[in-house]
Amino acid sequence: MKLENRLPAEGINSSDENPLKELAWLVVGSLGAVFLLAFAVSLAAQWLAPRIPYKYEARLAATLPPFATTPNNDAGRAVQAELRAIADRLAAHMDLPDEMVLRVGYRDEATVNAFATLGSQVVFFRGLLTKLESEDALAMVMAHELAHLKYRHASAALGRGVAIGVILSVVSSDLGSSAAGNVLSTAGLATLLSFNRDQERAADDAALHALHAEYGHIGGAIDLFNVMKTLPGGQRESSSAAVELLRTHPLTNSRVDAVAQWASDNGAATDRPRRPLPPAIAALRSVSKP
Amino acid sequence: MLDLIELGLFITLLVVGFFAGSIVEKRHYASIRKREREYADVLAYAVRFPPDRVTPQRAFLVHGTVVISSDYFKTFVAGLRNLFGGRVRTYETLMERARREAMLRLKHHARSQGAKLVICVRFETTTISTGWAASIEVFAFGTALIPDHNTALSFPSRSVAAA
Repeated sequence: MKLENRLPAEGINSSDENPLKELAWLVVGSLGAVFLLAFAVSLAAQWLAPRIPYKYEARLAATLPPFATTPNNDAGRAVQAELRAIADRLAAHMDLPDEMVLRVGYRDEATVNAFATLGSQVVFFRGLLTKLESEDALAMVMAHELAHLKYRHASAALGRGVAIGVILSVVSSDLGSSAAGNVLSTAGLATLLSFNRDQERAADDAALHALHAEYGHIGGAIDLFNVMKTLPGGQRESSSAAVELLRTHPLTNSRVDAVAQWASDNGAATDRPRRPLPPAIAALRSVSKP
Repeated sequence: MLDLIELGLFITLLVVGFFAGSIVEKRHYASIRKREREYADVLAYAVRFPPDRVTPQRAFLVHGTVVISSDYFKTFVAGLRNLFGGRVRTYETLMERARREAMLRLKHHARSQGAKLVICVRFETTTISTGWAASIEVFAFGTALIPDHNTALSFPSRSVAAA
């Protein structure tokens, strides 16, 4: 036997390929896969949520602290009663599920917003009420929130959030690397946000129907959008913390265009006289003015 | 905001991992190739028994061990690779460097003991840590032989050729 010494072979056990190329392919592939999966699950949750009987949503909501709380003073309770009356009038045109019992809450806080959530709860903040000049504009907000309840958007969002959370936790634990998991979960959240905008459009559409049926015109929607334009940070999606309304309901051009389109499609007037605000709500404006 | 900071931190770690890792790897390979030539006179084989005509005067265990760590970039790419399967190229260079380094240390050990022939060379690998900073240990060991001077043995290396 002849004993030889040869240098180790190069390029057999490892490759010279630039690792950035591999990274690019893997990132594109994995983000694409997560987006697709999150998208499919979102669609499934959105489809499924309104089909789950409302009583299960109500049962779940009963386990959470209530959002639509009653104010602890007479003025606040008067505002709540007026909001409730407007909600009941609009709800009559909205074909809400029979077993849904509306709960309208009012909070004496400066936040400029209103929201609808699990268990058919709608909550208005004083900050928003003092910005609105007519009952019509207030009714547009109310009808929009009631439409979220009608379409069960809160339970759709909950179902979607839970399903996507489960997917991402599976994906990221599979990766065995928290860093990769974080990037993927951020991608999943972006999908969640884009879906909420579709729901906002659906809610606007149902709200316009109810507004037209109750008031005979949709001037309230125009008024509301005009008010939103004057808010600090109007037309932009980011704004001060007090003006949550613009963050959760971005006033995009497509939203304004959709209202104009709806008006012309349905022959709805926008310039009829507005109804004045009910007294207790109107009083909030005069208190905050000076 | 917090998400942005997290993302920025992550990208910084990835970039640092990539550049630092590339420089370290390039230097390590250069050092390995240089020392492989320097240790060309120490022969190492996987055979279990001494080659023909080698009459060992002395035999003893020699070993070389190295602990080597992945970088953030390599671990991240490997983590994504786990989703799809296939060659984990970023770890292949890591393992190759570790094996060649362990072999060099084994040869260094053998030469320091006066041996120029090692047989029955084996490798062991241990994972020291997993997660975002994976480290591995590679351990090479073998039996060093110091042959009888009278034995006619055809060594190709410099030292023998000079003798």
